[in-house]
Amino acid sequence: MEFSEFQVPTRVVAGRGLSTSIDIELQREGLTRGLLLTDAGVRPLADRVRRAAGSRVVGVYDAITPNSSVEQVEEAARLARELEADFLLAVGGGSVLDTAKAAALVFTEGGRLLDHQGVNVLARPLLPVAAVPTTAGTGSEVSIYAVVRDENTGTKVSFISEHLAPALAVLDPVLTLGLPPGLTAATGLDALTHALEAFLSVKAGPLSDALALAAARTVLRELPRAVVDGSNLEARWRMLTASCLAGMAFSWAMVGCVHAMAHACGGLREVPHGLANAILLPHGLEYNRPAAGDRFGILGEWMGADPVEAVRSLAERIALPTRLREVGVEEADLAALAELAMLDGSIYANPREATAEEIEAVLRAAL
Amino acid sequence: MPVFATDQDVYATIGALFEWGSQDPELGPKIAASGLTIRFVYHEPESEITVDARAVPPEGRHFTVLCGPAGLTPDVTMEMNADVAHTFWFGHMNLLTALARGQMKAVGPIQSILKLLPAIKPAYKKYPEIARAHGLPGEE
Ligand SMILES: [Fe+2]
Repeated sequence: MEFSEFQVPTRVVAGRGLSTSIDIELQREGLTRGLLLTDAGVRPLADRVRRAAGSRVVGVYDAITPNSSVEQVEEAARLARELEADFLLAVGGGSVLDTAKAAALVFTEGGRLLDHQGVNVLARPLLPVAAVPTTAGTGSEVSIYAVVRDENTGTKVSFISEHLAPALAVLDPVLTLGLPPGLTAATGLDALTHALEAFLSVKAGPLSDALALAAARTVLRELPRAVVDGSNLEARWRMLTASCLAGMAFSWAMVGCVHAMAHACGGLREVPHGLANAILLPHGLEYNRPAAGDRFGILGEWMGADPVEAVRSLAERIALPTRLREVGVEEADLAALAELAMLDGSIYANPREATAEEIEAVLRAAL
Repeated sequence: MPVFATDQDVYATIGALFEWGSQDPELGPKIAASGLTIRFVYHEPESEITVDARAVPPEGRHFTVLCGPAGLTPDVTMEMNADVAHTFWFGHMNLLTALARGQMKAVGPIQSILKLLPAIKPAYKKYPEIARAHGLPGEE
């Protein structure tokens, strides 16, 4: 209650099939020369958006890999400069969106990406980003963060500034219809983790609370439907909305130890972000239970069961892995992962003040 | 009115705190282990202190404290009003809130110094002593 802050710097438009008329939204933003950023996997979707954007897209960079990378960010910024772009159009999942946001930073501020680490270092607006998510989970289309993997150190580096928020987010559930069940489940759990960690965060505030609770309840209800039947447009629509609400919530409330550990797993072992969160969420929640006060009870009311039980039964219903060793983490990694997690900014918003030993124990429980 | 009248007041208090830390058997080695060079830039009054755990420290110290411009390339720079630093060292400031409200600016991989927060806890006890001895207002 000491201090909270909230704003959504991003204009959000949402509607079925909306990406096919994205040119109207780009025009409203005054954006005329865009570099389209995407990854090879969603290239067909990106091409559809590109056709809709018409002559407003002047180039494409589609070499983005999961977990993002410093090198790709700088390459995208260089290409955007070469093309004299006046915006970046990001079509994809979290890695694509975060790459675009970080590339906008490098484009506007110059230098190398890692030169710009810190808090309160960005003082002016960046190259505008138009974000079109093709997964329902990241929330990056509205968040003030960009998380990029530093391939030299095997760590995830977070950038935070309201200037990193995209100028425009286009939510079109049709783009998520083809997402396979496994990815639907994992990215959906990322959204749920955003919501629950934002609600339990030491930086939680009244506005982020409302968004987080709404998002958590929606994910619990709609994610199984979207996983079982990917063509269920209604479920896809609600999941995309929930992901965006959770993104707004954690943008200001921050996340906690689950994300700190997930970033460590992504940095060291390249575990996909959603999967890492899915596996770690029940363990992180259990760890935080003693520090959560009445917040666990409130969550329980909204989720219809004890939060840990609700998350476990959801993960079971949608057949997500439940063990870190299923995703390439080994016993010998645990100490290093705990150390990395303690270096992650998210750990400072965790409701329970964590030590490396405790975090290692949580990781071990999830192994 | 600012807490500190001149840069010398900053050095005689916050600088003295860091000097104390460099000799403290508990705190000193933990900062030294970081191997970091941290530059603190203060305003009102303009002043700066560098904590250098990269260079070989002077005899009897775990790291070097340099008051005034040091000409070193820091790993992390923390910038704030000297008043904010005064409140911080009394242990009365939530760092996340201070960063969120723009009272502090951090340039560089800030997580590397956030990691030091548990280690510096003894300094919150020491600083009020130093500040009171120098006739500065308390922070009750
Ligand atoms: Fe996430």
